[in-house]
Order: sequence, then C-alpha cells, then structure tokens
Amino acid sequence: MIPRIGVVTFPGSLDDSDALRAVELAGLKPVPLWHGTDSVQGVDAVILPGGFSYGDYLRCGAIARFSPVMSEIIKRADAGMPLLGICNGFQILCEAHLLPGALTRNAGRTFVCTEQRLRVESIDTVWTNTYTPGQEITIVLKSGEGNYVADEETLRRIEGENQVVFRYVGNPNGSARDIAGVTNERGNVVGLMPHPEHNVEDLTGNTDGKPFFTSVQAFLARALG
Amino acid sequence: MARVVVDVMPKQEILDPQGKAVTGALARLGFEGLSVRQGKRFEIEVAGEVTEAVLAQIRSAAEKLLANTVIEDFTVYAAPAPEQGRTPQQAAALQQSAPQQTAPRPATTPRPVPTQGTAPQPRPVQQAPRPGTGGQQQ
Repeated sequence: MIPRIGVVTFPGSLDDSDALRAVELAGLKPVPLWHGTDSVQGVDAVILPGGFSYGDYLRCGAIARFSPVMSEIIKRADAGMPLLGICNGFQILCEAHLLPGALTRNAGRTFVCTEQRLRVESIDTVWTNTYTPGQEITIVLKSGEGNYVADEETLRRIEGENQVVFRYVGNPNGSARDIAGVTNERGNVVGLMPHPEHNVEDLTGNTDGKPFFTSVQAFLARALG
Repeated sequence: MARVVVDVMPKQEILDPQGKAVTGALARLGFEGLSVRQGKRFEIEVAGEVTEAVLAQIRSAAEKLLANTVIEDFTVYAAPAPEQGRTPQQAAALQQSAPQQTAPRPATTPRPVPTQGTAPQPRPVQQAPRPGTGGQQQ
C-alpha cells in the first residue's frame, strides 16, 4: 500500500504544489487538503507548506493555526501521526504549541533568500531518519521571520532531549543557538524554516531535501506494515 | 458601545527589529535619545458594560489568539469613556483641565502590569489630549 501524504492549502499558501510534487516524486501518494474542511481524508501524514497563510495577519501562522482542518491534524499528531511544517508551516506548528518556541522577524531585518547550509543534528525523527548525524546539506531558505526564539529553559531542555533537528551553518537570521528546525518529544512532528520540498531534483539545485520524504516513507512502511 | 483595549508588546528579552528600525529612523530625523519598542493595540467593542467577566473573557482571547505569550506580553483594560457618554459637568471639567495637559508630567507613568491587568488602567502619557480621552481619567 502506498502511503498517502496530505498537504494543506491555506489561503496564502505558496509552496503547496511543490510539496505535493515532492511527495509524488518520492513515490508517495499526494493528497491535497483544504484548510476549510474538518477532514484529513484518512491520510497517513501531513505537511503544512510554506507561504503567507492569511497574509501573515496578526502573526505568522496565528490565524491558520485555528483553521478548521487544524483541530483534526493536532488531534492526530498528538496520537503520533507524522506532521511536517515547512517555513510558514513551522510557524503554524509553533503557534499551535505542537513545537516549542516561536519564530520572529529576522535579526538583520531583511528577507533572506539563499541556498542555506545546514547540519543535521538529529535523525531520531520520523522525517529525518534517512540522514546521517552531523551530515551537512544545502537547502533553500526564503523567509523574513525565521528568527527562532525560546526562553533559556526551553532551549536547554530541547538541546538536552535531542529535539534540535537542524542547525544553520552560518546563522542567517539570528536564530537562538543557530536552530533551523526542531521536533517534539515523540519525534513525529518536525518544523524547519528551510524548504526541503524545493531540493528534490538535480534540475533545480540538488536533492538534499529528498531524505525527508524517504524518511517518512521508511517510517510508514514499518508502521503500516 | 464600551471598549476594551488590549496592548501587546514584545517581551523585554525578545529582540524587536521593528522598534530598532523605527529608533534608527527617528535618530536620522533628528529625534535624539529615543528608544522605541513597537507593539500592537487592539480596540474591542463589547455589548453592555465592561464588567470583570468581560475583561476575563478578553484576557482569555488575548492569551489564546491576540498575543503569543512565548514572545509577547499583553495588557487588558477598559478604554476611557467616549465624549458623548460624559455628563455636562465632566465635559466642563475636561475643558478646564485641557490646557494643563501640555504641562510636563512624569515620563515614567507606570505601565500596567503585563498579562495580569484587571481594573481599568490609566493610559500612558499623552502629550496632546485627544477629544474625549482627556486627563480626567488619570
């Protein structure tokens, strides 16, 4: 059985089609999900894509976090469903308190659009288990509010619990402890600012983002049997 | 309609790039020695009077949606009554007191206690009184 991966489209999402395409290229079944429904159509995992949901009104991700589809997604993520938030999706996951911390405006006050070097810190997650620890990869980063912040106690805790998944090599936005991506305690929810769905084909750079999709595939193959 | 105000400010320890940008622009314009932090103000109209229950409801809304308490503090308070709601005596007293508004007042009017504001709170210093929000409330 081919695992079905849902990608949510919010008003203002930009990278939903790229995420759906990356899912398909990885040999998984992409399932478009609309933010306004309360059904996730029985998918096995969900990706919240990048963009500017609800125009970034109030705060990035603050309104999308209360979209009808989110209550079902949060419920399932709490029960262990793989959930990946990319860029705006990461902001939504922090607003939903599925991940610790928050994303604020880049310290340099400018939008950053670059091919960003990252170090893989943890492969102990549903979405990164086919990387190798310490591996350096290059993935597209494009965001104005990617500055990760959390209080000292939270930072100590997530570092101690191996919940920092990626760090920037050369901090582009002022993120605390160079953090580019984090996971929850269980390792099924991952959020990061860079865009792995843009790095799945040699034609458009490299394939350093592909292991996200092979990782969830490997996990679901074990989980679904 | 009574109004309740929710002020949302970035926490002191959180970098405020917008405030920094405004601070820099002010300095370039010759406004020396000013340091700005930038937040948001929500004005919420409520049906009926601003009771403790209404304030509690709005504090809950602020906690849930208006502020992200990981990075922001908020203050909830009843807005000063609008002009038309005043008695003639109040209006007259306001007019008398208006010129005094331009006199310097302590620059350190205490901010309402973040996140736990309860009773109607005084507004921070305003240089020129806006109609209907005069100093009688202070």
